[in-house]
Amino acid sequence: MFLSETRLKRDPVETTSAPRRRMRPYTARAPCRPALAMAGVHKSYRDVSALCGVDLEIEPGEIVALIGANAAGKTTLISIAAALCRPDAGGVWVDGVNMLTHPKQGRRSLGVATQETGVYPRLSVRDNLRFFGELVGLRRKVLDERLESVAEAFALSAVLDRETRMLSVGEVRRLHTAMIILGRPLLLLLDEPTTGVDVRTRARMLELVRDLAMDGSAVCYSTHYLVEAEQLGASVAVLHHGRIVARDTVQTLIGSYGQSAIELRFDGPAPQLVDVPGVQRSEAILRLATDRDSANSVASLFAALGDSITQLRDVKLIQPNLESVFLALTGQASSCKDERLEVTGDT
Amino acid sequence: MIPRCSIAIARQDWRILRRDPFPVIVPVALPLLLIPFVKPAFQLGFGAEHIRHTAGAEQAVPAMDVTFAFFLVGNSSIGFFREHAWRTWDRLRASPASNYEIVLGKIAVPLLQAMGQFALLFGLGVLCLGLTVHGSWGSLVAVGAAYSLYLVAMGLAVIAICKTYMQANAITNVGALLIAGLGGALVPHAFLPAWARVLSPAVPSYWTMSGYREAILGYGHPLVNVAVLLTFATACLVFAALRFRLDDTKIAWA
Repeated sequence: MFLSETRLKRDPVETTSAPRRRMRPYTARAPCRPALAMAGVHKSYRDVSALCGVDLEIEPGEIVALIGANAAGKTTLISIAAALCRPDAGGVWVDGVNMLTHPKQGRRSLGVATQETGVYPRLSVRDNLRFFGELVGLRRKVLDERLESVAEAFALSAVLDRETRMLSVGEVRRLHTAMIILGRPLLLLLDEPTTGVDVRTRARMLELVRDLAMDGSAVCYSTHYLVEAEQLGASVAVLHHGRIVARDTVQTLIGSYGQSAIELRFDGPAPQLVDVPGVQRSEAILRLATDRDSANSVASLFAALGDSITQLRDVKLIQPNLESVFLALTGQASSCKDERLEVTGDT
Repeated sequence: MIPRCSIAIARQDWRILRRDPFPVIVPVALPLLLIPFVKPAFQLGFGAEHIRHTAGAEQAVPAMDVTFAFFLVGNSSIGFFREHAWRTWDRLRASPASNYEIVLGKIAVPLLQAMGQFALLFGLGVLCLGLTVHGSWGSLVAVGAAYSLYLVAMGLAVIAICKTYMQANAITNVGALLIAGLGGALVPHAFLPAWARVLSPAVPSYWTMSGYREAILGYGHPLVNVAVLLTFATACLVFAALRFRLDDTKIAWA
């Protein structure tokens, strides 16, 4: 645990602002007040509907993985939660503050890491972090201490005085996220925070997010990588065509929607099997759901292969997982399916 | 009292400026280089107007200040456009800073730049270039401050209507020459064509140049000039307030 010594404890924040603006430990908060509450949110861009009546609540300490295909509405949802754009209808509350009427007050409780990394390339890592600490009103001494601890947690200590444009992609991604952690916000909105980073950086980021949630932050984590939702231990909100079509824990969703399957991969095009119902064919792959009467299904599948069995290269048994849940709910494969398989090897 | 977030934003812009001061150095260094070249011509101009005992710097220094300070309109706008280019604009908007605090913070450094340019040009003008202020330094500073306010307000108006930095840059470059010319900064106002002299009062540079002239030559207190410049600044601010949308997408460079 690289965070063991530098854990980002949620203690009272010393700011230059009035006491009521300070973040407090959760024990001091009013019970049953979600960190984020969205109700009946609609948003359209001209004649394209981006969100259609979204309801979402995230409690302090909870991680919600927001998954969906491209253009499902994930970024729009996060933008509306952060009051970066207004919904056409519906309401948004952050820590009980109405974001449509009091966005400035609500933003004190949230931190947003947008999908595209936003840093000041000509300034040092320290100056980038310092700026966001100043924006949330940290005093110099507190800011200096917190800057060091956040840099250590995000493995940026060694590059604190380096110009940001000289950093690696992974370091920039970490800095991008670290910039919002300084203020220890109650709600973190992370829009695809691991896009373009290597496996090691991703693992580090996930660990950080888990730790932040353990310290009491609510996290809305938008991602294409379904495996991240599982690794985070997050509950999942599946967004499809602007609607949340499922919202539950990973295990519950798998229990409700997951399907096991057998997947056959061939050298060359997969054969057409008209006699076996339910077989999906895609170029060199045949896939058969095996949730009911598995033995008979598999037997009939192999029997139907005939001479094509000589072309069979690989057989995989796919356990019910979030991928199959996503497929069942949205009718389309996750855009990062291959990466998921590569990372987890869960076949 | 200046809001805390505005101070943080202005401080960040100052850090950026310190990393790359070239865009500020050029608009100050170039007029200092040009003043010795244009001084004799302006001295002849004073002679033609029967104004004696002048070195030409009394027209050359304010003329160069008015002309080159206008390029700060571009500097004001680039402060916004680069936030879009670096994808930090939405991060600012998602911070606890209100829209008003963001804009106030972003215009602080350009305003200081304009005032700094004024101080350097007139200071060095007196020390090295033979400028003598016969009238009130207070009036001179008042005109310089009012013109600086107008410039940052104009910068906001330019940002409000431009989608790209190239558009803002084009407006700045053309505007600098046009406004300087009509205002009597390139050629003394008395020598402008009749049609240009009619148009002159419509541009802020005319009021700046005539205000500087009154203060430097000791012809009186340029209160009207300051008032007109502040009116121009207010008009630009009102226009910007009506047109400027912080959630507009700006394309940084092209």
